Amino acid sequence: MMNFSAKRMTQIVCIFLFTVSVPLCHSSTFAATKSSPQSNKGDRVGETAVAEKVDQLIEAELKKSKVEPAKLANDEDFLRRVTFDLAGRKPSSSEVILFGLDSNPDKRNTVIDELLKSEDYAVNWARYWRDVIYLRATDMRARINEAEFEEWMTTQFKENKSWDQIATDLLTATGDVRENGNTALIFAHEGDPAELAAETSRIFLGIQIQCANCHDHPTDKWKRNSFHELAAFFPRVRVRPVRDATPRTFEVVSMDQGNQVAQRMQMLQDPTMLFKAFDRNRDGKLTEQEVQRTRMARNFERLVSRADKNGDKALTAEEIKSIPVPDNARRFNTEYHMPDLMDPTAAGTVVHPVLFVGTKAPEGMKDLERRETLSKFLTAKSNPWFARAIVNRLWAEMLGEGFYMPIDDIGPERSAIYPEVLEALADGFTASGYDLKWLCRTITNTRAYQRVMQTKIEGQPHIPFAAQSPTRLRGDQIFTAITQVFGVDDLQANRGGGDRRYRGNRTARGQFSSLFTFDPSTAQEEITGDVPQALFMMNSSAINGLLGTSGNNKLAQIAREFPKNEHAIQELYLLTLSREPSESEMKICQEYIQATDKRNEALEDLMWSLVNSSEFITKR
Amino acid sequence: MSFFHHQQVQTHRQGFSRRSFLRNVSAGALAAGSLSFQDLMSVSAEELRQQGRAMILLWMAGGPSQFETFDPKPKTSSAGEKQAIQTAVSGIEISEDWKNTAKVMQDIAVIRSMTNKEGNHQRASYQMHTGYIPSGSVKHPSLGSNIAREIGNRELDIPTIVSVGATDGAGFLGVDYEPFNVNNPGNIPNNVAATVPAQRYQKRLGLLGRLDSEFASRGGEVVVKNHSKIYNKASSLVQSPQTKVFDLSQESASLRQQYGDNNFGKGCLLARRLVEAGSTFIEVRSNGWDNHANISEVITPNAQQVDAGMAALIADLKQRGMLERTLVVWMGEFGRTPKINARAGRDHYPRVFSAALAGGGVKGGQVIGASTADGSAVQDRPVTTTDLFCSICQSLKVDPKKENMSPLGRPMKIVDGGTVVTELFS
Repeated sequence: MMNFSAKRMTQIVCIFLFTVSVPLCHSSTFAATKSSPQSNKGDRVGETAVAEKVDQLIEAELKKSKVEPAKLANDEDFLRRVTFDLAGRKPSSSEVILFGLDSNPDKRNTVIDELLKSEDYAVNWARYWRDVIYLRATDMRARINEAEFEEWMTTQFKENKSWDQIATDLLTATGDVRENGNTALIFAHEGDPAELAAETSRIFLGIQIQCANCHDHPTDKWKRNSFHELAAFFPRVRVRPVRDATPRTFEVVSMDQGNQVAQRMQMLQDPTMLFKAFDRNRDGKLTEQEVQRTRMARNFERLVSRADKNGDKALTAEEIKSIPVPDNARRFNTEYHMPDLMDPTAAGTVVHPVLFVGTKAPEGMKDLERRETLSKFLTAKSNPWFARAIVNRLWAEMLGEGFYMPIDDIGPERSAIYPEVLEALADGFTASGYDLKWLCRTITNTRAYQRVMQTKIEGQPHIPFAAQSPTRLRGDQIFTAITQVFGVDDLQANRGGGDRRYRGNRTARGQFSSLFTFDPSTAQEEITGDVPQALFMMNSSAINGLLGTSGNNKLAQIAREFPKNEHAIQELYLLTLSREPSESEMKICQEYIQATDKRNEALEDLMWSLVNSSEFITKR
Repeated sequence: MSFFHHQQVQTHRQGFSRRSFLRNVSAGALAAGSLSFQDLMSVSAEELRQQGRAMILLWMAGGPSQFETFDPKPKTSSAGEKQAIQTAVSGIEISEDWKNTAKVMQDIAVIRSMTNKEGNHQRASYQMHTGYIPSGSVKHPSLGSNIAREIGNRELDIPTIVSVGATDGAGFLGVDYEPFNVNNPGNIPNNVAATVPAQRYQKRLGLLGRLDSEFASRGGEVVVKNHSKIYNKASSLVQSPQTKVFDLSQESASLRQQYGDNNFGKGCLLARRLVEAGSTFIEVRSNGWDNHANISEVITPNAQQVDAGMAALIADLKQRGMLERTLVVWMGEFGRTPKINARAGRDHYPRVFSAALAGGGVKGGQVIGASTADGSAVQDRPVTTTDLFCSICQSLKVDPKKENMSPLGRPMKIVDGGTVVTELFS
């Protein structure tokens, strides 16, 4: 049982009295959604009902394998986990204590709802998606609008925009990248049709179709055509610099007309029109005299010098066709050309847009029509992969592993674990109108999510979802937790670091992020951390500057206000790990303080150790 | 202890992990009874590790023009404004900004017939670092990580693989072979110096270890094991007397002057010190080679820095008797167009470009391959990325056909295809 210092106790009582009424009214609002009945596929189903169904399916499966699922996590562990997952931060010491003392049986539901309403929820997930998109960017200049994307995405989450709406906005974005955060995905790949096809498929469908870029997919049913037909939705997207803009910026535009260069080139590749217009004597040759005072006159001499093979100063259709197409000709095409593998310098064949899991689009559409059509195909309820991909992704982010691994390599020829659980969640999510909060609420309400970690028994195979897997926190979550621990708004930025053109490199968060960030699509077992990260946590002035017991640091306050070692240790554990120390931990810490000459020095060492501990950077 | 090095530790928390498969391949082979072969291999591998072979990659980010470096085309339409100068080897001419390099030409082999298809910076850099075309589904290890894994010294406190400036990483080989990044060569890298006295630092580590074992017993054992492995490596670096290798003030002022008082020159000097201290692969990066405009003007200061650093490095290695076991490679992601564009610059051109190699058994004073008179194509003896990589492997005694298991369960050779450019070594 908790044994708090008198000082902490008074705080607790005050806060408790003040807030005790709040949870009650929340739970009554929640009751409304909870009672909605299981009904036809297609109708919106309540979160708890789907969560219950998910748990029954998982538990039935575990029972078949004679595996006893772990018990539910205690309040401290649950609160820390769900606060990191939904709001990207650690719970405060008061939140931990109050949650523990709250006797409302529905309090986990309630706190989930509160977290989903918070601004932190929107910011946390906006940062998650920033990493998903930008860490795969093929054009590094894209970083100039990272902040704008984050802001835009935060607004989407705050307004709880549906996932299909967000996907559509990302795919149909236009305009100045510094003013339109939703240009992120297109800007990150410089509007390149092949890269956009690969990323659109990976992010929104979870299908890695880019292998089919060069050959038929080795392990899936996709043909090489499928990839290029997807790319054919994007041939008219252009990213170009905005002229004379300071700071430098780019814009996403549609190029539907082709431009003069393209028209001229087309004319040369197929000169029939030229001959109709200018070959007055119909001898199949254009002469200088014939083109006099026409729009061809100006360039005629140059054309003759390049193409006139027999030196008669006149040009035949064959001679005009022989003028080589310039290397950058592809930029001027308004249709997508599938490269010829045998001859990479050839123009390739025109391919028209088709979504491989959907239908064929009409030919010759304008840029925005193409992208809107693609969005419609992608987000159609008849396309199950759209819901499966995001359900698999969010479930894996919160539980540490997905139904499919890696999370962005799913598809008809991949096999899922617990496929019927994924289906139940995907159906519910689709029926909710692709409501992301519905999905978060459902996942966090499952027993599968709320289980305790278990000690691994040597030689026993890992059974997914039978217990909580400890997972690595993302860079932004760790950064936020550090600022919370030291009670500061920001850390001190390193002045010399990185390319200063990018705002991200100048802020402490940006610098921390470039050191600690990993691609959120990476499997947990591959995220191991590295030496520079450890060096930062151990030795950086940003952290060590805040560790002292002098002045008015957080640690100095604790040292002053909690003269009893036991209470100070308790406070430090609550502050850093959002839980009470165990008996043995208490013993280790007390012994350490006693064995050290100076108490303050010992407290500094303890805080250093807790901030550097495995647990601090891990979701337990 | 083997810090900064691969250890047979399972970092996953489940029975089957694709990465663990990679790590367990050799164990599996042993269990399957091919012991003698494996034994033999590991013995020779140990010997190799002790030979101290190393590579220094001088990376010209942005794609250096071959015309203004190692393949000048005086008196042609592609010449640009730079003149060609004589070198220490009669018959070999290079561009005028490279006066110091010209003096050590007897140790350098220039390849003027490098050829590739990729003209996008990021993708081409990836390919010229890993030997593979980028793909969203697998992150290939850079050649440096592969080399460090094959022949790196396991007993080293300092990193076996270092990059001065950010570079491509270890890909699926994982954190053990991730290059250690140095942003400001010359000083002890950020965060390497401890903030408390050594004894107290030790005490802190002890406390951290005890508290972590509590978390391990609650179900975090895999996380803790991994974490402590990394903290061990980090703290052995912090406490190692070898960190003075990063402090260039221990070198004479005249030598530092010779290398150049700039990040590239300092990077080269640091690279030599690291090789001396036992590191295996060092990349030193020079930025600013993407000269789309005013090339003859902007390239000079950049070229002069690299010229000084590179020439000093080759001479210094040679003088210390280290050149035979240290391969120095100069290259970028692609070359530049023969035609000077409207902005007096040159654009991306992967069809033909140059690379230069010295040391590591390479026979200097020669030019391999040729571009056409106007420099628009390969005239003679095309050399692909994989050919170059096979040759690098040959120099370092690494088997390019060795396979590692990629995360998608597909075995991947260190270098896929390609043949050794034998002229380099004859």
